[in-house]
Amino acid sequence: MDFALSTEQEDFRVAIRRFVDERSPLSAVREAVQTDAGHDTGLWSRMSQDLGLPGLLIPEKVGGSGATMVDAAMVAEELGRGLVPSPYFATVALGVVPLLATVPSGIGAGVQADVLTEVAAGGCTLTTAMTEPRAANSLAPVSLRATATGGRTTLTGRKIQVIDGHTADKVIVVAVSAEAESRYGFYLVDGDAEGLTRTKVETLDLTRPMAHLELDGVPTTRLGEPMSWSEVERVLDRSATLLAAEMVGGLEGAMTLAVEYAKVRHQFERPIGSFQAIKHRCAEMAVELDAARAASLHAAYLASTDDPGLATAAPVALATAAAGFAFAASWDIQIHGGIGFTWEHDAHLYYRRAKADEVLFGSPRQNWLALADRLGI
Amino acid sequence: MDLTYPATAEEFRQRVQSLIAENVPPGFTGTGALERAERDKFARRWRRTLAEHNLLAVSWPAEYGGGGLSPIEQVVLSEELARAGLPHGSESDMFGIQLIGNTLTVWGTEEQKQHFLPRILSGEDVWCQGYSEPEAGSDLASLRTRAVLHDGEWVINGSKIWTSAAQFANWIFVLCRTDPDAAKHKGISLLLVPMDQPGIEVRPIVNMLGEAIFNEVFFTDARTSAANVVGPVNNGWTVAMTLLGFERGASATTDAIRFEAGLERLFALAREHDRHRDPHIREQLAWCHGRVEVMRSRGYQALTRFLRGDNPGAEAAITKIMWSEYFQRETELAMEILGPEALTPDGRGANGAIAMPDPGTANTSRAWVESALTARSATIYAGSSQVQRNIIGEQLLGLPKEPRVTR
Repeated sequence: MDFALSTEQEDFRVAIRRFVDERSPLSAVREAVQTDAGHDTGLWSRMSQDLGLPGLLIPEKVGGSGATMVDAAMVAEELGRGLVPSPYFATVALGVVPLLATVPSGIGAGVQADVLTEVAAGGCTLTTAMTEPRAANSLAPVSLRATATGGRTTLTGRKIQVIDGHTADKVIVVAVSAEAESRYGFYLVDGDAEGLTRTKVETLDLTRPMAHLELDGVPTTRLGEPMSWSEVERVLDRSATLLAAEMVGGLEGAMTLAVEYAKVRHQFERPIGSFQAIKHRCAEMAVELDAARAASLHAAYLASTDDPGLATAAPVALATAAAGFAFAASWDIQIHGGIGFTWEHDAHLYYRRAKADEVLFGSPRQNWLALADRLGI
Repeated sequence: MDLTYPATAEEFRQRVQSLIAENVPPGFTGTGALERAERDKFARRWRRTLAEHNLLAVSWPAEYGGGGLSPIEQVVLSEELARAGLPHGSESDMFGIQLIGNTLTVWGTEEQKQHFLPRILSGEDVWCQGYSEPEAGSDLASLRTRAVLHDGEWVINGSKIWTSAAQFANWIFVLCRTDPDAAKHKGISLLLVPMDQPGIEVRPIVNMLGEAIFNEVFFTDARTSAANVVGPVNNGWTVAMTLLGFERGASATTDAIRFEAGLERLFALAREHDRHRDPHIREQLAWCHGRVEVMRSRGYQALTRFLRGDNPGAEAAITKIMWSEYFQRETELAMEILGPEALTPDGRGANGAIAMPDPGTANTSRAWVESALTARSATIYAGSSQVQRNIIGEQLLGLPKEPRVTR
């Protein structure tokens, strides 16, 4: 009985934390988001090639490190804490996760093995295109349908708000299968495929770039067999687990800004953190951080053991972390007062991330309602 | 990470399960299913059974009648009792075994341990706790009850309030000011005082449910032997903090077990009232499930710390806030589900539970209304939510203390 990170995992966490603090302070984040890529490509080379972060979940057989979802979540948490703009989330949560989930049996040959080998080597970034215009929410079943003619499968239609959609080397498109209307598939598309137009768009969250995609007869390969929507959801639960972990980090980052400011800002001849009106909001952030971390760790643990309990643990982790992060990021601005509302202060970076994350995989309310369905209430 | 228990712990679990099976009637769902008088009778018998099997004071050394169980065995016992809906001793055992008994094992003299500990287990001595005073609530260290040594005896004057179960107790452990000239937190001693004497008067206080479960205790030249001080004289604050700091490590995972049972009742209530299709209710029920799952995960984390022998620290404050505020929200949701039925409470009640009622409690309007009323006290007793937030802010986050008012 041991529900804690191992010494090796703790050491790894500390190393990632130090890396983020040294290599990606918020001043560097602001510079990175100005670039075309929307992230620091040099930093990503270090993360992917030196630290092997995209290969964490990838089996050793195809060049990865065969680590668990707990390790991948831990990295997501540290990157989230520093709002590090990088292809990590899209590549791992939206790329490696569906690739691994659609491997027929064991990882050997096949398109998944090829792509995963490239990703593990640090030479390939991924993402998933899911959301369609006018979707009820970002997790609603998709309607874009694959077409199969003469042994060739193609995709035509529009996908929006694709994270890193303008830079990803390969895009996984969630679509209705060509074979049957009630079946879905993850379809692999090359980033530079003919017929694919990618347009980078303005984003609420400055640190998470997105693109809209136009697909016009784009050649594609389906990963694995067609599946039901609830099977798609089981895959997305694993992706959601990493988003929840990232939000836990963001919550901690926002809380730390608020707490450190409350210690040094003086008004009425005393630090404002000595006022209970401020102190208690900070304490509530700490309570929500603890809750979110517990929920996120539990989901990651269940994901790492392929436990079916993830279907209910994932929405708990998402909704808990999203609500906590939004709370901390809002109060962070309030505690800073006027300076917190300025462009130059970092508080709005966290607030933007929090409010964007809150809807990325369904709002807390949508997740609680999905959970109610899954619990059979 | 590994959530499985070692084989030896699982063997112990089977022994506990057998003992439970031998002592509860078939179809037993928990003491909450029994009428109050019947419940009390059953609980007394069950306490004797636990005592006979050395399962009452599980962490005490065996030489004082304790169970000498390993930490993981203590956990397994707590879990099985929670699942079966059985109490781990009487309500007074919270004070006798958990609080003063555990404190004596750390701070007591050999004579004190040999004298007091076995008497707690036999039921000869029943304890209550004298801490809060009318003018010393959250600011406990401002307590004024005085104790003066006179002819080999402490002579005590003052009063204590919110003393639960004082009407059943024959001993009280009392924080007294023994050096009025020392600083606030110094000059306090923890004294053990017999209740059966003319200098002590117990007056019941009726709570907002109309029940007399706590009391005011008055000391007028009450006496106790000079030897009945726990730890050094004037060091009572440190001793008391150890006592409050006894993490319920062994029961780290049982809060979630109990709340889960309560939540099942609430799901059933929503279905019975056909409110389970209402999206607002569904969202709230799912939130409750989420919080129980968070408490379960935090329980695993607390358990890991307990098994490693780590100190709980400010996490205990987070635990207190989390369960007490959950309890309020859950019971208010029940009131919303009940709707107009809550206006006229009916059926069996919550048997005077001071937190989540016992498993097996009837799914009646009266039980939920009583729980909802009771829940108002949960964010006040054992350190109010505001005190807990100060602890989190100052000890966990390092925020500055409130400046002292200078006079």
